[in-house]
Amino acid sequence: MWKLFLFFSILSLANTAENINSDLINKNVQRTIDLNSQLVKITGTITIENSGKQGISKYLIGFERDLQGSVSYIGVQDSQKNPLKTSEVAVIGRGTNELFYQVQLRQSLEPEKTITIIFEVIITKALNPYPHSITQKEKQLVRYFGNHYFYSPYKTQNQKTEVLVSSRSIESYSKLKPVAQTDSIITYGPYSDIAAFSLHPLTVHYENNAPFLTVTRLERTIEISHWGNIALEESIEIKHTGAQLKGPFSRYDYQRETSPNHHSIRSYRTILPALAHSIYYRDMNGNISTSTVKPHKDYIELELKPRFPLFGGWQSSYILGYSIPSFPYLFKKSSGEFVLNIRLLDHVFDDMAVDELETHIVLPVGVSNVKVKAPYEIKRLPDGVAYKYLDNIGRTVIRASKTNLVEQHIQDIEVTYTWKSHTLLHEPILVSIALFLIFVIVIIYVRLDFSIGKPEHSKKE
Amino acid sequence: MAQITGVLSKFYTDYLTKTPKKLKAIDAYLVYVLLTGIIQFIYCILVGTFPFNSFLSGFTSTVSCFVLGVCLRLQVNPENKNQFYGISPERGFADFIFAHAILHLVVMNFIG
Amino acid sequence: MSQAGTKKGAVSKLNRNAAINSLIICVVLLLAWVAGFASRLFAVIRFESIIHEFDPWFNYRATAYMVKHGFYNFLNWFDERAWYPLGRIVGGTVYPGLMITSGSIHYILHLLNINVHIRDICVFLAPIFSGLTAISTYLLTRELWSSGAGLFAACFIAIVPGYISRSVAGSYDNEGIAIFALQFTYFLWIKSVKTGSVFWAVAASLSYFYMVSAWGGYVFIINLIPLHVFVLLLMGRYSNRLFTSYTTFYILGLVMSMQIPFVGFQPIRTSEHMAAAGVFALLFAVAVLKYLQSMMSKSEFKFLVIWGGSLAAGLVFATVVALTYAGYIAPWSGRFYSLWDTGYAKIHIPIIASVSEHQPTTWFSFFFDLHVLIATFPAGLWYCIKHVNDERVFVILYALSAVYFAGVMVRLMLTLTPVVCMLSGIAFSILLELYLREEDSGPSEIEGDESTQGGKRLYDKAGKAPKIKHEQVKEQDPIGPNIRSIAAVVLVLLLMLFVVHCTWVTSNAYSSPSIVLASYGSDGTRQILDDFREAYFWLSQNTADDARVMSWWDYGYQIAGMANRTTLVDNNTWNNSHIALVGKAMSSNESAAYEIMTALDVDYVLVIFGGVIGYSGDDINKFLWMVRIAEGEHPKDIRESDYFTEQGEFRIDAEGSQILLNCLMYKLSYYKFGELRLDYRSPAGFDRTRNAVIGNKDINLTYLEEAYTSEHWLVRIYRVKKPDEFNRPRIPVANRVIKSSSFISKKNSKRKKGLIKNKPVVIKGKRSQ
Repeated sequence: MWKLFLFFSILSLANTAENINSDLINKNVQRTIDLNSQLVKITGTITIENSGKQGISKYLIGFERDLQGSVSYIGVQDSQKNPLKTSEVAVIGRGTNELFYQVQLRQSLEPEKTITIIFEVIITKALNPYPHSITQKEKQLVRYFGNHYFYSPYKTQNQKTEVLVSSRSIESYSKLKPVAQTDSIITYGPYSDIAAFSLHPLTVHYENNAPFLTVTRLERTIEISHWGNIALEESIEIKHTGAQLKGPFSRYDYQRETSPNHHSIRSYRTILPALAHSIYYRDMNGNISTSTVKPHKDYIELELKPRFPLFGGWQSSYILGYSIPSFPYLFKKSSGEFVLNIRLLDHVFDDMAVDELETHIVLPVGVSNVKVKAPYEIKRLPDGVAYKYLDNIGRTVIRASKTNLVEQHIQDIEVTYTWKSHTLLHEPILVSIALFLIFVIVIIYVRLDFSIGKPEHSKKE
Repeated sequence: MAQITGVLSKFYTDYLTKTPKKLKAIDAYLVYVLLTGIIQFIYCILVGTFPFNSFLSGFTSTVSCFVLGVCLRLQVNPENKNQFYGISPERGFADFIFAHAILHLVVMNFIG
Repeated sequence: MSQAGTKKGAVSKLNRNAAINSLIICVVLLLAWVAGFASRLFAVIRFESIIHEFDPWFNYRATAYMVKHGFYNFLNWFDERAWYPLGRIVGGTVYPGLMITSGSIHYILHLLNINVHIRDICVFLAPIFSGLTAISTYLLTRELWSSGAGLFAACFIAIVPGYISRSVAGSYDNEGIAIFALQFTYFLWIKSVKTGSVFWAVAASLSYFYMVSAWGGYVFIINLIPLHVFVLLLMGRYSNRLFTSYTTFYILGLVMSMQIPFVGFQPIRTSEHMAAAGVFALLFAVAVLKYLQSMMSKSEFKFLVIWGGSLAAGLVFATVVALTYAGYIAPWSGRFYSLWDTGYAKIHIPIIASVSEHQPTTWFSFFFDLHVLIATFPAGLWYCIKHVNDERVFVILYALSAVYFAGVMVRLMLTLTPVVCMLSGIAFSILLELYLREEDSGPSEIEGDESTQGGKRLYDKAGKAPKIKHEQVKEQDPIGPNIRSIAAVVLVLLLMLFVVHCTWVTSNAYSSPSIVLASYGSDGTRQILDDFREAYFWLSQNTADDARVMSWWDYGYQIAGMANRTTLVDNNTWNNSHIALVGKAMSSNESAAYEIMTALDVDYVLVIFGGVIGYSGDDINKFLWMVRIAEGEHPKDIRESDYFTEQGEFRIDAEGSQILLNCLMYKLSYYKFGELRLDYRSPAGFDRTRNAVIGNKDINLTYLEEAYTSEHWLVRIYRVKKPDEFNRPRIPVANRVIKSSSFISKKNSKRKKGLIKNKPVVIKGKRSQ
């Protein structure tokens, strides 16, 4: 039995391992590497030509072996902006420490034809502060290590790369001619006829004062009540992952520092759903009184100020909670099942990077037949049981976790379950029975008191 | 000296004649408890009080048994009836049991 | 048949009357509870549900520990985060009643699946218990006087500031539940004295046990009750009831009080408890004598008393003295001495005197905390003396002793408050009974009922109830209806004033959590200064888990509770020399302090500095106490007089003494403050708390560096550098060259080095020899 299983698993592995089809040629590649924030966002358009004899429907995007940081998100579209299916694959003949994504083209590419696809890649932890630690007054400089060429398993005929940095003060950048710098844009290329798997290290060393804030752990609890409310609570641990603070922190200097472009983080914005109410922002010692709520037309903007400004290497944690009405998220199918569509992850701050996410969905009492459909691959943890107010029967808790997330992962998870509406009355009935029992006991006690008292009195007489 | 013995002997005869039987039973109990207490005291003088809490709990439990016995005797005594109204001998005995239950729970805990 | 019907009707009418009575009582008590609860919520509404001040933080931390780890682990808890490097055995050094109370409430609620956070239980425990206090005060006063007086007393105690000061929401301290236990013990005691029932005596001792587990003030009970018995004996009011109730109460209370680990064998070893034992023996002697008296003739009895009595008295006295000398019975503790001699603490134990709660009470605070009650309670006392009986003797003694103690220590105002409420309740009830009697028949009927009820209970003074009526009849005649109504209106006005005053005091004086401060801008907007939590949270998030924080002991519990870091000293001031060591570090100069700090493995130093916002409770204002405490243990190194100017003033400006201007506390408080201009009118380095420009503006730190300072500079945290970090003091780049060049030109050996400068390797080898 085990052997059979092993065999099948090997078979399935072999199935996903792909060959490189050398018939494909990247005719033209336009890349933009956006280094404005703490994330590296690479977008680009690729024009692919099929120089072979047969139609091809699969295209591979690769990432070099010593890639700095880790790929958090990849999205590919065709020229009509329709998303294409992308999946991580192993490639025959290449080591495992290279990363390949396979793009399933909409229709197979006929010989001599070309097609254009657009890709977007978000890489986290790719910008390294250099120097590693700075004093309070110094600027934060970071280095980016990349590749001058578009790393591809195919031959590339023509390519051009633009690097966008956040400020004009660039310390240094690698110069592979032709290269040009205007303001905060460095343009590499055009380079032509680059062989497959070409590597030529690109470095940019520049000033970046964008907040280097990482959510090291986010625990999101979603509690559904069929009384019409969904309560959300996020317990968030954040850390400043930029250059470490060296030497003392001086409040005096900090108070005199007024420029907004400081590497420390004073506050940030969180976007909540427009219908959110009863918002609270606290930590283990109680309320954090420094936050402001600005309602907008279709969202609520929350400006959160941690208890203390965050400098490099400092961390903080807090709990943010709110309630939303359930009607935009919870539906009843005609078959009687309930469908919950709610975000697996929500916005914490712009250009966020979440190291570890754990989402708990607390379903109402007495659900059965639970089905979960995730927007992307998640790790399902074993279901838990939660006891909320006055529950004597536990509630099912769906637990899921995922690491390395960015804004693009803010997507809905779909949970389907069956639930009988009469269980809604379970708790009120329980409470009223308990109250009734208490009254009955009191009545009996009062009566009994008389019956004990009398014989004693009579004895006394 | 003779006066003292005279007083004591008169007291003894008075006691034998005037005290009801119920009270005599309680008195016997009290004498027994008193003797236990005295033995404990002698023991502690001779041997020492090493596990102090054990000694203490033993000794206080005898003292409180004695105290409770005396209280019961006072309450049961028909001569004191006008002082304890609302407390019948039965009630007094129930209280006695109640107090003992609590006392021995505590002593049990304390004796270690 | 008809007869039975009328009988039934009469019974039902009686029942209905009683029902209405009990309904009124229930409603009034419930309202008192609600009012008491609500008026304690100012802090929660204005700020949030949070634990206040200092000691409550420890209680909260201990409770949270108990809830998390279970009761037995709590009793064996060794807290290595306190009193570094000594640690603290928490289970044996706390009164666990408070933690057990809230822990068990938490447990029960969670059994019912009511998921209340333990913090919320802790925050609201004191207000809830204030309602119970009101009820037990009602019961006690009812036993002493009448139901009406009891209701008055209950309403008073529910809102009186003297009690609110210790029981606002968030003030999670022993006193909050102890006052309830105190009143309830007294109630049960009175009840048992009245009935002579063993049951009530046992109940009293159980309640006493709860009190012992909750608060060190139980000593008050164990001295007041024997005093009561003793005075009754002196007054010739011995009865068998007194004997049964006291002996049962004492012996059971004794065994039970020894169950609390912190109390241990104290009840038989310390002088504070000896009075109770003495009275116990005395009562036995009296009982034996009484018994013999009943059996013997007078002359015989006299003879026996003289011989036996003198022999017994001599024996008891000799044993007590011998035991005290042999060391079996400890003499009175320092805190206890300070109750008799107010100057004692100041001379011998500065650490007790340094706490503001231990100062003598001012007249103002009597009025502030009790308002009209302080004026009316002597009237109640007078009535009690006038119509004295067994239990009123008790309340008289209670009042007298509590007045004395409250005068000695501000903190003991708390024990005075209940008795003042009770006696004022009695006074008001008598007054209103006098003036409202003929207004209408409704209330008089009820009150008549009550007085007959009261009459029933006053068994030993059978003529009492009619006597009151008689007096009333006599006094009613000369009072005209006008005077009567005017007096009634005045009384009601007084009561209303009292309510207004209570609310005002509660809202203004006692409802600040003191870890969150609020300031009001000129336009009325409220600004919250959350510096304490800001800094504590910084400590908890950005320092190593085992980091040791040195601060003055006031902040020890807060650091442990909110920042969860190891502290050197805290509010449980049991080790004076350790505190003195910290005081010495704070008051010496930086290098001497560094030696102490390295010896104690200090990683961070935390000081409270109020100069920026004008917060007066900061460390510079407490500094003289640090000096005094340090001087007590290290008189060679620290002298208080060094910190004063020649004129004997404590000044922080340029005229202050040099030792002060260079001590660690001064430097840490004012580091970089000399450059800060608070506003355009005042010069740089202007201290708002002390209204002076600081004397030492150019402060450099060698051994420490600023690690964090909160937004309004209220909390400043410094990191103690490791030895390798300061061996080469940092010199600004500009100064570096000049200094080194002058150095070379002066020293001969260096010049040599300069000569063979082009062979650096050789030099190194030579130098190392």
